[in-house]
Amino acid sequence: MSTPQEIERLILGTADGDRTAFLSLYDHTSAKLYGICLRVLKDRAEAEDVLQEVFLKIWRNADRYRANGFSPMTWLITVARNGAIDRLRARRVKAEDLDVVTEVPDHGPTPEAAAVASSESAQVHRCLGELETDKAGAVKGAYLEGLTYQELAENYGVPLNTMRTWLRRSLQKLKECLTR
Amino acid sequence: MSGESEEERDDDVRAGEYVLHLLDPAERAAFEARLEVEGGLRQRVALWTESFAALAAEVAEVAPPAALRRRLEQAIAAAPRAERPAQPRASRFWGRLAGIAAVAAVVVGVFVALNRETLFGLSPAIYIADMESADSPFVLRAGYHPDEAALVVNRSAGEVPPGRVLELWLIAPGASAPVSLGVLPDEDSVTLTVPEPLRPVLAGATLAISDEPPGGSPTGAPTGSVLAAGPLNSV
Repeated sequence: MSTPQEIERLILGTADGDRTAFLSLYDHTSAKLYGICLRVLKDRAEAEDVLQEVFLKIWRNADRYRANGFSPMTWLITVARNGAIDRLRARRVKAEDLDVVTEVPDHGPTPEAAAVASSESAQVHRCLGELETDKAGAVKGAYLEGLTYQELAENYGVPLNTMRTWLRRSLQKLKECLTR
Repeated sequence: MSGESEEERDDDVRAGEYVLHLLDPAERAAFEARLEVEGGLRQRVALWTESFAALAAEVAEVAPPAALRRRLEQAIAAAPRAERPAQPRASRFWGRLAGIAAVAAVVVGVFVALNRETLFGLSPAIYIADMESADSPFVLRAGYHPDEAALVVNRSAGEVPPGRVLELWLIAPGASAPVSLGVLPDEDSVTLTVPEPLRPVLAGATLAISDEPPGGSPTGAPTGSVLAAGPLNSV
């Protein structure tokens, strides 16, 4: 895996319209981002389609990277995961006739916030380890697989409201641990 | 807990649910309206985003098919980046807000003076919200006149989509759900009366406009896109 500085240099090159930098960014990160899309969508053709959209988004919007203040891999992972989850939810939107699919606002945190946040990101595993196994598993299922409250409740065989309560308490505990 | 209020803890949890994509569409729209204007909330989202991204370390890398790289190579050759404006949309939005702040004194003066003339007899506005969004053409300004409990909403840009209505929402500081202030008639200037229980929470609250079916949201929460939002600031 390349260093964050290397990835950042490639993102900034992409923002300047440098195609070689963009293709090099693809070579360094596409396997990780494809893995993330596959984990959410569990379908190769769809994951490939989303990955293509994700990299075109990165090509078009690399100049926003500087403004959002995230660390380089966090930014790429978030763009990929959001793309995959939007696709996943769109499968259901058709069925449920919901007319709202809003985009994540693209203004990010301040650089200060990102600096604080990145020093805390390494702690997430330790903090999840402080939760009961099922509860940590539910948080991971929501993040890595894009599961909804309903699906999490079914997976763990608990009522929907119990799952909501579980997850909200887990988030409170995680936040306490992350900022301890 | 290190002195965090219940509201702050609720915001932490809500921001976590937002990053995990666990909010339903109406909750998500309400949260995003607050994100447009609340820096503290964006920091909470940033912390969760950075923290959870570390979970991706455990996702196995899978090489995508070689054809994908070739398709991307062709796509970027056909769409050179350099033609795009260099400035990110978000910066333009916040830049515009800063611009508004810079001329606020002048604009507020004009606004109050105009209203004193056109809205005969209303007391001077004590809070003003400029509502807009980077994603929609709508620009509205609302002023709250305390003696009459009147909220005057002026729309200077944006057309109501056919067969839809605009609904005005109040998001009190720290509140997780918006409260409807009513459906706005399709007019450039509308005056509403703010219900008594909501008057004390106007300071620091956010106003937002959503796009709804005729008669307003059937659920009591926004169901359509948030077209514009902005905080109520003291004049």
